Amino acid sequence: MEGTRTNQRAPSAPHPEPEATSVRASFRIKELCQQFPHGITDQVIQNDMPHLEPQQRAMAINKLLSLGQLDLLRNSAGLLYRLKDSQSTSKMKGSDNQEKLVYQIIEDAGNKGIWSRDIRFKSNLPLTEINKILKNLESKKLIKAVKSVAASKKKVYMLYNLQPDRSVTGGAWYSDQDFESEFVEVLNQQCFKFLQSKAEAARDSKQSPMVQRNSSFATSHEVWKYICELGISKVDLSMDDIETILNTLIYDGKVEMTVIAAKEGTVGSVDGQMKLYRGVNAIIQPTGLVKTPCGLCPVFDDCHEGGEISPSTCIYMSEWLDF
Amino acid sequence: MTAQEVRLCGLLLQEHFGEVVEKVGTHLLKSGAQNLRTIIHETGLSVDLVKKSLCVLVQHGATTFSSGRKGPGSPTEYHTSCDRILRILRYPRYIYTAKTLYGDTGELIIEELLQRGHTTMSSTVKTVADRLTQNMAEGRTMDYTEVSLTFSKLVETHFLQRCPPLPGVGNKDSSAPSETPATPGTPAAPVNTAPPTPESFPECYKVPSVTLIGRGKRQLASEDGEEQRSAKRAKMDPETHGDEGIYWQVNFERFHLHFRDQTIISAVANKLDQTSSEIVRTMLRMSEVTTSPMATCTKPLSANEIFRSLPPSYNILRPILDQYLTLLVDDPMEFVGKAGESGGGMFVVNLHRALANLARATLESVVQERFGSRSARIFRLLLRKRHLEQKQVEDFAMIPAKEAKDMLYTLLSQNLVQLQEIPKTPDYAPSRTFYLYTVNQLPTARMLLQNCYKTVANLIERRLFETKESKRLLEKSQRIEAILASLQASGAEPEQLTEVEEMITAPEKQQLDTLRLHINKLDSAENQVDETIFLLESYINSTNASS
Repeated sequence: MEGTRTNQRAPSAPHPEPEATSVRASFRIKELCQQFPHGITDQVIQNDMPHLEPQQRAMAINKLLSLGQLDLLRNSAGLLYRLKDSQSTSKMKGSDNQEKLVYQIIEDAGNKGIWSRDIRFKSNLPLTEINKILKNLESKKLIKAVKSVAASKKKVYMLYNLQPDRSVTGGAWYSDQDFESEFVEVLNQQCFKFLQSKAEAARDSKQSPMVQRNSSFATSHEVWKYICELGISKVDLSMDDIETILNTLIYDGKVEMTVIAAKEGTVGSVDGQMKLYRGVNAIIQPTGLVKTPCGLCPVFDDCHEGGEISPSTCIYMSEWLDF
Repeated sequence: MTAQEVRLCGLLLQEHFGEVVEKVGTHLLKSGAQNLRTIIHETGLSVDLVKKSLCVLVQHGATTFSSGRKGPGSPTEYHTSCDRILRILRYPRYIYTAKTLYGDTGELIIEELLQRGHTTMSSTVKTVADRLTQNMAEGRTMDYTEVSLTFSKLVETHFLQRCPPLPGVGNKDSSAPSETPATPGTPAAPVNTAPPTPESFPECYKVPSVTLIGRGKRQLASEDGEEQRSAKRAKMDPETHGDEGIYWQVNFERFHLHFRDQTIISAVANKLDQTSSEIVRTMLRMSEVTTSPMATCTKPLSANEIFRSLPPSYNILRPILDQYLTLLVDDPMEFVGKAGESGGGMFVVNLHRALANLARATLESVVQERFGSRSARIFRLLLRKRHLEQKQVEDFAMIPAKEAKDMLYTLLSQNLVQLQEIPKTPDYAPSRTFYLYTVNQLPTARMLLQNCYKTVANLIERRLFETKESKRLLEKSQRIEAILASLQASGAEPEQLTEVEEMITAPEKQQLDTLRLHINKLDSAENQVDETIFLLESYINSTNASS
């Protein structure tokens, strides 16, 4: 949208005008709007009908506005008039101006939705009115409330037929506002198994080391295809989703990643580069400290000789020694 | 010298040298350098005992002495440091390494030197030969030449070094017995040692930097390989062998370098494959004597040199070797780096970086074992990304918000993770401040090191406690063993033997077995924790050197 909606009326004319001129003027203005779907300024109307006086013009515009056929917008250059599409015009029949206002605000918020308090700020209406209007609109099935995943108490409103944005629902990992940890775990393990088996196959192939290493790599695209074919996911996962899963594997220390330059046309390349992943082993065995009970003891800091918790009386040590 | 270190040193001194030495040692550790009179006064022991304890400590290199603070005329002050005493934990590892590298002879030589602190070569050789002879079959004896050969090999590879010469005020009480009682059956082949040619000993430092002193290999070459007089008499008179006053000690630093190399090689083998680890082993072997202990990386080696020095059993072709080297360089762990293109590519082993990676793996493994793999995921994430907000941590790690919060707070309370505040406004209002989680590797490593010291001290105390509990039982079993041995020596009949054996009842036997099991477990646990201590100490020292 080029400008913001205003709720002002065009400057009203001081003298009454003959009916015919104003009807013709309104018609002409509507035609102009249809010609320029992005909106027309006052200047355009004046150029088209130079004989029309400013007062007549204003009256024509006001009539169209009150009929709900024209939208008044404001942008940096000045006022803009745009034809309202007929469908929404029909929807709003029977609602009063306040509801129209609230509906406009919610429509503006797009698929991110808008919070009731923000609606109040934008419309300057009292809270009770807002709530009444929202209930009204909801019953008319024009808007709906979506629970936000970020703050579970917050409800955002958006148009009925819109898909909520990913930031509100949390994307593929959230179903009904709940983080699906088992789903993530399963995907995690599947990806890891895939990469591990690829690395093992490469190791067993006994070719030259360079070929071995290169064949143990898998691009993110390959992993994505594998997961899609596996069919364990109810929702469609994009390559970005798979990459976040692979990143968690990197943070688990099981996988490493390199980035290589790839030609633009190759499958799976993003901006001329591809990410490659391969399974790796840990570089050391679990360290010596954790093989003793003291390394894992939850009361390590409280333990000293002669106290209630001491090495001589330590129950963890006794259990460990008798193991 | 932290409290944990002092406690551990006290326990080690008590076990190896007794209570009196422990008292003097811990007193010196806690109060810094002091002169003799102050020590006597503050510990309350008699002059004689204090003197003897100081001698023991000096003999083992734990204490050094120097002229006092007020200048050369004032009484000498004695200064003890923790490091040398903490090495006592590692003695089994040193002995085992010597065994793998130089066989039983090497093992016994190192054991002798560790037990006595400083000895002359001749006395060591004699004692070791005697011990080996005792274990060999009847009629066979151990030749001195073999032992001295091993000794010289140990010196050549810098595992042994000379003790630095002391200033005139030194009262070195060498416990090295220069008179060895004769053992029957030992062929006398004394090592004739010519007086050493004066080495260019540098000024004796108060804190001996042992890297400069003690490279006596040239001298040893002239001492060794002498004509071996084979005398027919078995009795060994106390004779001077010409190496009086030249005392040898174990070069711990060299052993540490060896351990470090071993760890790097096994890490490469775990991460890549056996062949790559062999290549790294060759590289490290070639740079053993040319690299200084504190170096960041080894001297550059050309691919041609590496190819020539590879063990022939591996049969690697030249282009394959090049591929392996490229793979090693490309590996994210950065064990090997490329330093140039001449000679087919110049390669170095990045020692400090390898140590840092190993220390980081140690930290991660501790977090994983202690708190679970999801906390380990958060820990690794923070190590990689340095600073993150709580929301970002949850998103990257893909852990539900509530659990992630819980884990982060647990890690924070254990001080493994720190919080960094970045204010948006001059007043640190909590709603307008960024709180970022971060992990600092070096301080965390230090903290874990102190925990290791405490753990070892706990294990030792538990072991002492267990022994004390079953003291009565142990004494009884010892008595019975002594009776059995004497009976067997005097040729008793089997019934008498069984009668004596039955004096220990079955449950007591079981108790003894359990006790033995426990003590072994605790011992091996001490060694395992010592491995962690070694890694963390090397990492911390390497950062000290470079900073």
